[in-house]
Amino acid sequence: MNRVSKHFSLALAGLLAVTAVAGDLKIGVAEALTGGAAQYGVPIRNGFQLAADEINAKGGVNGNKLVLVIEDEQGKKEEAINVFKKLIFQDKVLMIFGPTLSNSMFAAGPVANAAKVVAFGTSNTANGITEVGPYVFRNSVMESDVLPVTVSTAVKHYKIKKVAVIYGNDDAFTKSGYDVFKKVLEDQKIPVTTTETYVKGDVDFKAQLTKIKATNPDAIICSGLAEEAANIIVQARGLGLKVPFIGGNGFNSPKMFEVSKTAGEGTFVGSPWANTNPNAANQHFVAAYKAKYGSDPNQFAAQAYDAMTIAAAALKTVKITGNLPADRQALQEALPKVSITGATGPFKFRQAAPKDGKPSGYDADQKPFIYVIRDGKFVLFTGK
Amino acid sequence: MLEQQLINALTLGSVYALFALGFTLVFGVLEVINLSHGAVFMVGAYAAMTAVTRFHAPLGVGILAALLVSGLLGLTIDALILRRLRARKAPHLIPMIATLGVTTMVTSAAQGLFGVEVQRFPEAMLPTGEFVFGEVHLRTLELGIVAVAFLLMALLFGVMRYTRQGRALRAIAESPKAAALLGINVEGLFMLTSFSAAALGGVAGVLIGLDFNAVTPMMGAPILHKGIAVVILGGMGDIRGALFGGLFLGFAEVLSKAYLSSQMGDAVAFGLLFLILLVRPVGLFGRVLERKA
Amino acid sequence: MAAFADFWATYSTLVYSVGIHALLALSLWLTLSCGLLSLANAAFMGIGAYTAALLTLNLHWPFPAALLGGAVAPAVVALIIGAPTLRLSGVYLAMATLAFGEVTRILILNLQITGGPEGLNGIPLLTTGWYIVVILAVAGYGLARIRRSRLGRAFEAIREDEVAARLMGINVESHKLAAFTLGAVLAGVAGALNAHFTFFISPREYGFENAVDILTMTILGGTTSLIGPVLGASILTLLPELMRFLHAYRLAVNGLILVVVVLFLPTGLWDARRFRQLLKNRRARKGGQP
Repeated sequence: MNRVSKHFSLALAGLLAVTAVAGDLKIGVAEALTGGAAQYGVPIRNGFQLAADEINAKGGVNGNKLVLVIEDEQGKKEEAINVFKKLIFQDKVLMIFGPTLSNSMFAAGPVANAAKVVAFGTSNTANGITEVGPYVFRNSVMESDVLPVTVSTAVKHYKIKKVAVIYGNDDAFTKSGYDVFKKVLEDQKIPVTTTETYVKGDVDFKAQLTKIKATNPDAIICSGLAEEAANIIVQARGLGLKVPFIGGNGFNSPKMFEVSKTAGEGTFVGSPWANTNPNAANQHFVAAYKAKYGSDPNQFAAQAYDAMTIAAAALKTVKITGNLPADRQALQEALPKVSITGATGPFKFRQAAPKDGKPSGYDADQKPFIYVIRDGKFVLFTGK
Repeated sequence: MLEQQLINALTLGSVYALFALGFTLVFGVLEVINLSHGAVFMVGAYAAMTAVTRFHAPLGVGILAALLVSGLLGLTIDALILRRLRARKAPHLIPMIATLGVTTMVTSAAQGLFGVEVQRFPEAMLPTGEFVFGEVHLRTLELGIVAVAFLLMALLFGVMRYTRQGRALRAIAESPKAAALLGINVEGLFMLTSFSAAALGGVAGVLIGLDFNAVTPMMGAPILHKGIAVVILGGMGDIRGALFGGLFLGFAEVLSKAYLSSQMGDAVAFGLLFLILLVRPVGLFGRVLERKA
Repeated sequence: MAAFADFWATYSTLVYSVGIHALLALSLWLTLSCGLLSLANAAFMGIGAYTAALLTLNLHWPFPAALLGGAVAPAVVALIIGAPTLRLSGVYLAMATLAFGEVTRILILNLQITGGPEGLNGIPLLTTGWYIVVILAVAGYGLARIRRSRLGRAFEAIREDEVAARLMGINVESHKLAAFTLGAVLAGVAGALNAHFTFFISPREYGFENAVDILTMTILGGTTSLIGPVLGASILTLLPELMRFLHAYRLAVNGLILVVVVLFLPTGLWDARRFRQLLKNRRARKGGQP
């Protein structure tokens, strides 16, 4: 029995795992590489790969090479759990990046937390993710940190009196973005003319937009992802609806301009990153990504790239002993102390408020920027 | 606002009808719920996209490419799978599952080949015209889709009613065995049907891909669900029903979004489908289709 | 032993999933055994999952009681919608149940108590291997008994010929309703168990794709016996894991296998009659030789 299972797991390990040399730092990457969520998972994987290659080309971390063990979690919760367990118990990685969707993190995060292994999300923005426990980290900025200042800036700039809202109501990301918008609008006492919804996979938003047009708002607030947002804006213009849009993190992608270069003009976007952000680390990242993958990076890639840099910075301060639980623990303790300047600007962690007396994980503590779309580009908004 | 919403409903309904035409044709003749129709639809959109972006062909050639590639895919599915299942008289459920397997294969292959990200037709390529009547806006492309949906429906209907092949097809729909005894080339017409239905699906893929300008490997799934509802509403296998069902669903969805709540758009569509089936078990416009063996 | 511990730590969730899927496939097998092609079982699974999870999360019910709740709630819904729906047959029944499933999913999506699209998280880890093993065994034994009972034979009669069954004095309506409702109970329990080892549930997990997945497992395995659905569920759960090395194309292989089985094994993978036939042929050949 014992021998059989040993042989089986050896065979599995041989089949699946990356052969590691002593001194290698094994890092798990669990992202959605197939299925609907792959459109986010693939750029994320690219961001990790790019950062790891660059770090290794410079001699690795304290002479040790970063070895990525990349697994596909398909954007499904069971798969995310399976992949996390495989990475933790079979591949024996130091820490895990991912999974792609907040939903998957709610399922897989507790597994990592129970095994005392860091789970580092780069794209999970839902509320409550880091309440899973102290081993859950994320560098994705929560909408609640971004949207209040975005809305107030846009309101001041356009002298907005009332707004209409549209959001995707079957997706955790767009729904939690909407919840934040709703609260912000209440706090800032801005009346809402109508609130409309759509679902993933919808391509026709004209019914909702016609309804919005009839209520005559000064601006439209949209919690959605760039793929849908781009179509929403184009269809709004097609219906003769000319008011500006205000969006969150999800808008932040070069995809906004693929459908139309001009339709998004004047849109306000709050985000920690834009491809046009002039800081040196970002300009290097954008150029390197384009050279390696032949397409423009998006925010998902940028946050993954930074996350790898953050992990490398933490690993630099950890003395790897070869005792896996101790090394994993040391990494968990080192991560919160990291502060870097990456593609998304200056970054540090902040511990989330404890829940039910239990310690929580770590959120991003980052200053968002306000961008406005001008001439088919994200331009840093400077008050004019 | 009502005028614009009615136009919105008309265009959305036409989109549904366009998709449902091929879907219902296959059911009418082959009695197969072809769950690969969504994948065929997606392949059409990618065929046109490839022709246009990689080979710099004009849009007309792109549509032709979609027609051919999708049609051939439909033919292949028929020759390799559906024909064998027909030969052994497999129950309804079986071709449904086989075509589901095809969908998984084709979607996964498309992800591998074209990537998972949304692809778009070059902006310069799209017809940009627009008609404005007061507050009501209608784009040329939308008008085109409405026209194509109605035209194709009329064409198919005419073919079924007035041509020899059409009469043969209707004879097959009544009873394949009797049709074969009458000297009708049943297998040949089955293949023709599979080709035409898939070609229609492919053309629908390009037109709808152009209209919303978003092409992804997953684009077939949501419209397949709606297509099922349309075909049931219109009566399975009824060509006029595809158009009526499509328009009915389009109007129900848009008007419920406009005057009830947009949260319930899909719930209205499927709730309606459920209720209609309870009252009229063969769909709104359907007649009892009983095949005499 | 350490290797086994590692193996179990890695793959326990996968093994649990096999059990849950087997339960779901059996639930559909039961409905199919009465000739009802229902696509509502994914929705029943969802109703069971949400009911049980809300009971443990908000009311802190003990797990067995929550499981019971997860069985009763879908049964009640099945009884209510079953009476009018089951008058339909064949494809039309499939489509009506599909529509019901979509409406259920959208309702869950828009309710406050279910957490909407963000779902329910922090569901306690209460499902252990034993729960799954015991429930699966009880379900398997119960179904085997039903199959050989009056009830099971009545189901079979209705499946083969509804008119003849009615003439024989079988109350077709109430038997159909019984098969539909019992199927809903099994699906609901599967959902409740699943919710309590994945920490999280959301409406997306109980949609059209999942309804079709359940159907696929059942048909792939074969419906001529109880072993078929369990086999189908096991294969379709494990296959994607074994195919990991194919990366982007692994789902393509899944689809291909489905097509091949449907084409070449019309009664599914497991068909007792076919096995008996094979055995007989071999014996006949052997016997024929001097």
